[in-house]
Amino acid sequence: MIELKHIEKYYNAGTVNEMCLFKDFNLTVHDQEFISVVGSNGSGKTSLLNLICGTLPLDDGKIVMNGNDITHMPEYKRQRLIGRVYQNPAMGTCPNMTILENMALADNKGKPFNLLPGTNRRRMDYYRTLLSTLGLGLEDKMSVKVGVLSGGQRQAMALLMSTMTPIEFLILDEHTAALDPKTADTIMMLTDKIVKEKKLTTIMVTHNLRYAVEYGNRLYMMHQGHAVLDKAGKEKESLNVDAILSQFNAISIECGN
Amino acid sequence: MTIILGVLEEGLIYAIMALGVYITYKILDFPDLSVDGTFPMGAALTSTLILTGVHPVLTLLLTFLAGAAAGCCTGFIHVKLKVRDLLSGIIVMTALYSVNLRIADGKANQPIFNRDTIFENEFLTRIMPEGLTPYTVVILLFLIVILCKLLLDLYLKTRSGYLLRAVGDNETLVTSLAKDKGKVKIVGLAIANAFAALSGGIYCQQKGFFEITIGTGAIVIGLASVIIGTQLFRHFTAVKATTAVILGSILYKGCVSLAISLGMKANDLKLITAILFLLILVAGNLNGKKGRIHD
Amino acid sequence: MKKSMKTLLAASLTAIALLTGCGSSAQTADTTAADSTTATEAAETTTTASTTTEQTTAASSDTSTDASYTVGIAQFANHGSLDNCRNGFIEGLAEEGIVEGVNLTIEYENANADGGTSSQIITNFVAKKADLVCAIATPIAQSAYSICRKNDIPVIFTAVTDPIAAELANPDKTPVGEITGTSDKLPVTEQLAMIREILPDATKIGILYTTSEVNSASTIAEYEAAAPDYGFEIISQGVSSSADIPLATDSLLEKMDVDCLNNLTDNTVVSSLPLILDKAAKKNIPVFGSEVEQVKIGCLASMGLDYVELGKQTGKMAAQVLKGEKKASEISFETIEEASFYYNSKVAENLGITLPESLTSTAKETFDQITE
Repeated sequence: MIELKHIEKYYNAGTVNEMCLFKDFNLTVHDQEFISVVGSNGSGKTSLLNLICGTLPLDDGKIVMNGNDITHMPEYKRQRLIGRVYQNPAMGTCPNMTILENMALADNKGKPFNLLPGTNRRRMDYYRTLLSTLGLGLEDKMSVKVGVLSGGQRQAMALLMSTMTPIEFLILDEHTAALDPKTADTIMMLTDKIVKEKKLTTIMVTHNLRYAVEYGNRLYMMHQGHAVLDKAGKEKESLNVDAILSQFNAISIECGN
Repeated sequence: MTIILGVLEEGLIYAIMALGVYITYKILDFPDLSVDGTFPMGAALTSTLILTGVHPVLTLLLTFLAGAAAGCCTGFIHVKLKVRDLLSGIIVMTALYSVNLRIADGKANQPIFNRDTIFENEFLTRIMPEGLTPYTVVILLFLIVILCKLLLDLYLKTRSGYLLRAVGDNETLVTSLAKDKGKVKIVGLAIANAFAALSGGIYCQQKGFFEITIGTGAIVIGLASVIIGTQLFRHFTAVKATTAVILGSILYKGCVSLAISLGMKANDLKLITAILFLLILVAGNLNGKKGRIHD
Repeated sequence: MKKSMKTLLAASLTAIALLTGCGSSAQTADTTAADSTTATEAAETTTTASTTTEQTTAASSDTSTDASYTVGIAQFANHGSLDNCRNGFIEGLAEEGIVEGVNLTIEYENANADGGTSSQIITNFVAKKADLVCAIATPIAQSAYSICRKNDIPVIFTAVTDPIAAELANPDKTPVGEITGTSDKLPVTEQLAMIREILPDATKIGILYTTSEVNSASTIAEYEAAAPDYGFEIISQGVSSSADIPLATDSLLEKMDVDCLNNLTDNTVVSSLPLILDKAAKKNIPVFGSEVEQVKIGCLASMGLDYVELGKQTGKMAAQVLKGEKKASEISFETIEEASFYYNSKVAENLGITLPESLTSTAKETFDQITE
């Protein structure tokens, strides 16, 4: 469970350009909840993820993860329980390392990075099986450098790598936005499968309203740093794309977009 | 023949430093100028240790460790004190100038001509066959360089080595793996400068003296070796990057030697280096594919 | 890929060949001519080069009967007194009948104060089968000894201030191997005596030196030891590069309130001498030099070494070794015993100082203008 309590976040604090992003913002993400976060540009979706992950420091308030206050915990330590997939497929893999090495790297998360061999040959078959679930044929290109793969292939690997070790939370930052529609669909289905299999608590930021409606069990629409729509469970299931699209248009017009 | 031996000697000594520069420049993507200070530091420490009677082989180990410590300083300044990469190198390089003079007992030049070194000792004269004497230095250097290369190759294949490669490739991923990327950088800089200091130490043992100015331009030699090596051999997949760097260092020294024997004035040497540098970089770019992917 | 590598190689060869065109030694030209056939762009240089070659071959063929020698001269840096050393060395050899272009081939290289280049220059001499290597200044003398002792080539050094500290000679002044030469140890006491004579009331002498130059440190120590005997106090100021010199000079002149400045043969400081002289002149403080070149450009006076003489002395030692009269290991290194007095009358006039007759009458050379 992640709780955000009375979050305050200003950009350019103390200057004439000071901009308030969050003021007394509260959000509780329950275990095994799959929240789809939508909202216009600048509504604070990505900042919300950055605050949770610790990429951005917050000005006031508290972030509690599984009952522990993690407000001042450095970013890398929080990642022990968090897996994160970025919009840019290049962010989740190492381009100059091979597929095998990337898999091994991800497999070692949570273990000490000592002088033991980086790749455990006995895990090869496991990696192959994992990769074959992607259906992209990557299992036969284990010694190919990731840099030569397509964006979709890399994003699939990034997803696999971020969920390989036992984690509790999955943060998806518009992770299908840079992909073509077909690949995006594949990645989205894969995401859903992994989330269900591993029973992960997930926060997904997306611009694709269809995904937001189809996937997950809670929908959260943001505008200027606060929620304008928050539906979970039965209420969420009854939502359709048209209904939220009209709501979305309303806030967008207000913004002048 | 003498020329070839000379080039091999020089090339192999500097190859060890080039391996270090390879770590910072190619793997970490960190322009580390502290090498200009750690190379002479290795030499200063070696001359002083040998003068106090420390065994030459043990000296090598100690210079390696001292270099690592200096690298940690650069890393600490960059990572913890948040000074820009280039500047942290310059700060350490500048500071080391004074440190090196202190290490060498205030002397800018400290000879060790009459002491035992790894290249000149009783044991070596006993085991080396008469006919091989002119090649002793090259053979020894070759063994040391190969050992360094193999150790580095091995290290890059360990978990820690993977992380080092990852941090230069994609810092974000390292954070995602719940690892402090700053620490990884410090480790990388430590290893790189350890190699640079070791190289300086071996230089001192082979030449028989320490001189404060030997570090000037060390980073240029290192960079030249790395760039020449990795660019020329990038299409030979059988040649590992570390091997390419060593060959690059020998080639670089070969070019310098060629330039000298062609009667080039020393004044023009730097210009030649720069032109050679540029040509190789341009040729690399013309060939299309970029070596690194920056997003 | 292959094509690009070829282009690359050709291009770099061209670059080297073009630049070597500036070199003037005959050997240079010879090699260039051979190599630049691949690089057509260098054709122009080749033509000029080959004419030089012809001239030299013609000259050397006259003396085919006598033994002929190849000497490699390695100079550490570009520096007036080191140049004088080199010229004196060649003169000294000539006086002993070993004449360049007749029975002597000279390979000359300058390392431009780069340690790495130093050793490659020496290796190059070894490869060209030099009969003797002349090394000018300490670091390159060490490089030369380090390489030549493995190849049985004698080394003659000059302008090495302290051969014993540099381990190029044993503490009892005997050679450590096939290496000997001359030291340019400054005549410290003579210099102090001279300053006392010119400035009877002075008490503080300021000296600038570079911390990275080993010779300067040892000379400072000597000055400090000898100064009290002449009633002086030495105020030394170390710098690490020429960039520090303006501030260091100001500090000596203003804060330390020195009565005069005294110059060593410190390479970095000597290169910045015009700046130091300018600052000192504004405060009307005399600057003493350590050798003739410095007096020429504006130091008041000097009890200094004649580097040409030093070079000549070195050349004669080299001749003995080349002719086989003595081995280098049988000759102890030498120093110039007597110092000569030089002064600049123009500077004296500017400062309003009248130099004592007892000194000016002994002057070896007098300058009446300041060479820029």
